[in-house]
Amino acid sequence: MTDKQKHLISLGVVALLVVLSALLIYPVNKSTKLGLDLKGGLSVRYVAKDTPKAPVTEEKMKQAEYVLRQRVDGLGVAEPIVQREGARNIIVQLPGVKDPDKAKKILGKPAVLQFAIVTDQYSSITDMKQLNDLKKQGKHVLGPVLLTGDKITSARAAYGGQIGGQPEVNLSFNNEGANIFAQITAQNVKKRLAIVLDDKIITAPTIDEPIPDGKAVINGIRSIDEAKEIALVLNTGSIPVTLDIHEATSVGPILGADALRAGVIAGIVGLALVAVYMLLYYQGLGLVTWIGLSVYGALIWGVIAAIGRAYGWTLTLPGIAGVIISIGIAADSKIIIFERIKEEIRSKKSFRAAVQSGFWNGFRTSLDADLVTIFAALSLFLVGVGQVKGFALTLLIGLVIDIITMLLFTRAVLGLLAQVWPVKIPAFLVRMRGTSEVIESA
Amino acid sequence: MLNFDFIGRTKIWLVLSGIFILLSFVGIFVRGFNYSIDFKGGSASTVKFKTAVSVEDVRSVLIKLGHKESVIQPIEHRSVGEFGPQGAQSSGSEMLIRTKELSSNEEKALFDALNGKFGVIDRETRTVDASWGSQITERAIYALVLALVVLLIFISIRYEFKMSVAAILALFHDIIITAGIYALVGREINPNMIAALLTILGYSLYDTIVVFHRIKENSTNIVKTTYSAMANRSINQVLMRSINTSLTTLLPIIAILLFGGETLKDFAFALMVGTISGTYSSIFFASPIFVMWKEAEPYYRNLKRKYGEQGAIA
Repeated sequence: MTDKQKHLISLGVVALLVVLSALLIYPVNKSTKLGLDLKGGLSVRYVAKDTPKAPVTEEKMKQAEYVLRQRVDGLGVAEPIVQREGARNIIVQLPGVKDPDKAKKILGKPAVLQFAIVTDQYSSITDMKQLNDLKKQGKHVLGPVLLTGDKITSARAAYGGQIGGQPEVNLSFNNEGANIFAQITAQNVKKRLAIVLDDKIITAPTIDEPIPDGKAVINGIRSIDEAKEIALVLNTGSIPVTLDIHEATSVGPILGADALRAGVIAGIVGLALVAVYMLLYYQGLGLVTWIGLSVYGALIWGVIAAIGRAYGWTLTLPGIAGVIISIGIAADSKIIIFERIKEEIRSKKSFRAAVQSGFWNGFRTSLDADLVTIFAALSLFLVGVGQVKGFALTLLIGLVIDIITMLLFTRAVLGLLAQVWPVKIPAFLVRMRGTSEVIESA
Repeated sequence: MLNFDFIGRTKIWLVLSGIFILLSFVGIFVRGFNYSIDFKGGSASTVKFKTAVSVEDVRSVLIKLGHKESVIQPIEHRSVGEFGPQGAQSSGSEMLIRTKELSSNEEKALFDALNGKFGVIDRETRTVDASWGSQITERAIYALVLALVVLLIFISIRYEFKMSVAAILALFHDIIITAGIYALVGREINPNMIAALLTILGYSLYDTIVVFHRIKENSTNIVKTTYSAMANRSINQVLMRSINTSLTTLLPIIAILLFGGETLKDFAFALMVGTISGTYSSIFFASPIFVMWKEAEPYYRNLKRKYGEQGAIA
């Protein structure tokens, strides 16, 4: 394969990647998810605190996360995030939530677990979602609260009966609870007992027979995971650790839009300044950089869209800053290569030879330099907190794409230009002080 | 070909850097940092009012509600086409209000009062518990140490140990100066600063590496000259490139500083100072220190004795 074919193939690969990026990006509102700071919403960071009575354990954190998730689901916000960070932090993000104050209150209140009988009128409905919807509309779905969760001593998920049995949850009550439970079950055989967490019906199994010994089985559960979740809730009924709010941010939608506009304007101005500078200093090669930077921008956005689609990653203002900074770095790499090529031309080489050796020498410097920044960004990503992580990630993406575009795009374009003007480079391509006579004599 | 004598004037550069660092320490230890609520706890709100509101107007409402020790600052915007301080943002005036940590109820009361009196279009509130700050600081220190160790190893393997020490010294030079200027101008330290510091760390080394890469390349071919003359020639060779790359890095940073909004302004300022310092230190601090140390090796000391006279400029 000739060099020319190689260069054309690598440009073809670049074109393919750009098309792929475009497909990933389009439609923009689906692919590029904006963070809370740009879209508005509520973000709360809870940190579990040890108390003499209740030290923080992994199990308790899981329960706390579960209870928080239940409450968030109850708020009906699109795409909420509830996630653990480290051993003690739980982050809750509610993009676009209308009333942040109310949301914060609902998240923070102590959980209440209740048992109540489903009224006859609705006892035929087995779909929990439907039941909950009816309850929300104020329909008389449940009878009075008969028992509360504080009387449960243990709950355990298991497969019932023989091998291949259905998932179920085994409960034990304390003495008082056992008595009440025996009474309830005796009085309500064939009726359905709803287990309600924070006003939301989790499950409503049918009472098959009176249960006198304070040991109950909840069946009719779809999966063992669900059984485990229910056991978790029953075990605790409330968030088992003390959660302190360490950080809470609420952003209104108008200010979010202002921030987005500011970020985009800064990006466009930054890009324009770099583009003009490159054109003034490098002329024809500056134009090559323009295309290079456009390719670069398309690929970065493509990757951001890809991780947005795959992991629900959101772009925040620091993330946009990371992209803008990486524009500068991408231009740096081009400069290192161009300057190196100019130098090689000065040492009496033909344009073709200068491009060949100049690219690789310049690339090695750029690669080392990029790697150094990659290490710094990686440390920041691994150890950093919150929004700083977003900055580190876009910077990392930018650096990796810089290396890729240098190899696939810059190299191919320079190589093809050297095919066209193998010996003497035309003045419009690169302005070189004090070299023209050197080249002519070469 | 450019030909400045950088290495020959080592003493001047080191004294100059010493003065910068001394001034920075004065800034850091005498003036101190202006920490954001992320480090000391409290609430910070950006409020967008329907009409122009003065600081005194807002303060009177805050005092009525018992928030005596609050800081109120107008926020200025810039936009393309209008470079003035009061730019063409969506109409209305914005204020930054910092108070002690507000509970949900206090927050509601405060903004209901402001809304009732002046009319609030939109707001953003951030409340941070004081204990969070120590966690952030701890994490930041981990990140810095992790990055430094990895980079020290990387440069030692790719280049040489003496270069990595010189590069890291230059890095501290840049970070101290950035922190110092930050303290002197009294800008706010927030978690984004950690990102800025690590980016400066990356950039400072990046720039130093460009110079060292050339010194390393030329060091295989030292003919009839001294190590310092070769290093000086190397610096001259990469000088234009260094200036160009710094400018292209600075341009987007300046764009963020001017147009990026309140959140990113301080971040961009730190980056700007760090980038300028990083460019300066790779030529005037890292290289002279490295060359001084390298020329202490017997082989290069010999070269210096032999060619020292004419080698200084060549």
